[in-house]
Amino acid sequence: MTLTVAVRSAAALALVALLAPPPAGAHHSFGVVYDANKPVTLTGTVTKFEWTNPHSHLFIDVKDGSGKVVSWALEGYPATVLARTGWKRDETVKIGDTITIFGWRARDGSPLAHLRQATLPDGRKLFFGPPAGTGEGAATVR
Amino acid sequence: MRDAATTTRFIATLLFIAAAVSTPGAQQRGSSGPLPRTADGKPDLTGVYQASTRRGAWDYDVPGEQAGVPAARPAGDAQPTGARPEPVPFTPEARQRAQAILNRRSVDDPATLCLPQPTPRMTPVALFPVQIVQTPQQIVMLYEYFGQSRVIPIGGKQPDDIEPAYMGNAVGHWDGDTLVVEMVGFKPGLWFGNGLVTTDALKITERFTRIDHDQLNYEAVLEDPKVLTKPYTMRSTLMLREGTRLREYSCIENNVDPQRYEKLLSDPSTFTRTPPVQ
Repeated sequence: MTLTVAVRSAAALALVALLAPPPAGAHHSFGVVYDANKPVTLTGTVTKFEWTNPHSHLFIDVKDGSGKVVSWALEGYPATVLARTGWKRDETVKIGDTITIFGWRARDGSPLAHLRQATLPDGRKLFFGPPAGTGEGAATVR
Repeated sequence: MRDAATTTRFIATLLFIAAAVSTPGAQQRGSSGPLPRTADGKPDLTGVYQASTRRGAWDYDVPGEQAGVPAARPAGDAQPTGARPEPVPFTPEARQRAQAILNRRSVDDPATLCLPQPTPRMTPVALFPVQIVQTPQQIVMLYEYFGQSRVIPIGGKQPDDIEPAYMGNAVGHWDGDTLVVEMVGFKPGLWFGNGLVTTDALKITERFTRIDHDQLNYEAVLEDPKVLTKPYTMRSTLMLREGTRLREYSCIENNVDPQRYEKLLSDPSTFTRTPPVQ
């Protein structure tokens, strides 16, 4: 590696480090339960909304490939954070609404996911939870 | 290979961007007004704050075009710089333990059990506001995250009957326009992220400096010779959030993690990881 390339690499790494966001403040580790390598997009009908701390849960019924209805549990931000992320309890999403969600599946393959983003019936998109990996720490000690 | 001039321009550009995002409070709109002061001339820290470098209203991400990815921020709007820009000066044993914690994806973090957290861990969390109420004799800090609070007497000495606590015992004094908070009396086994777990030897010195109407600079120096080879400094920038109120965050209300974890811990190989080869 030449000196120029080395300096350039170091500068790029420094920039990446500086752009790192602040701790998102996960009460728990994402990666213990969820798998960042298993993204999932689902469309289903809302059956229940737990507007609670330390995490909220949204439940939707989704038809699988064979037409069977599966109830998915979707986990995300605490109620206090949802309220500042554009969600209004009992208004933004109502029981019976059809929504599309993007998230990451649980490692155990059960119908459980970390819900990152919801697309509402009117097309609006809102975040429901932090990015993948929050709260588990980096792979190596810094 | 680029020529020397191109390389120099490239590095200069990177350093310019780095400087723009690393300067505390870097943003495009400048100061919003002078630092408010109390009747006795001290800086008035009273207000509700959020860990962020953006001035104005509550700072939160909105989805972009790609599912799960935030929309691009306006040009010149700096991303927060984070609270841990420097490496942790671990002792060799503490570093080994930290890596073991990260290998287990922090599954043993006491926060999962809703146990109280030390302030340098709560203060820079961007999702939750911090409220400061100031009087000449004492300063009260309220944290939405975990619903914690602390009362910091000004000018006092550490009491001689301290019981070890999650938040330690705090006394404060003014160093010019900076509020200095010294804390001792911590329980052992507190987590600070990145695998850092402290001991009963922990001492923390916090410095709060409100540099203008909006911006409060925060610094916490951790000293713990049992796990750190030298003092370790965490820094963050807080911004005033007028119109924001603290809401109730009851961590035990619907905490399903202990049950989930009990099942998962019967076979940690399902989630543990090995560090990448350096």
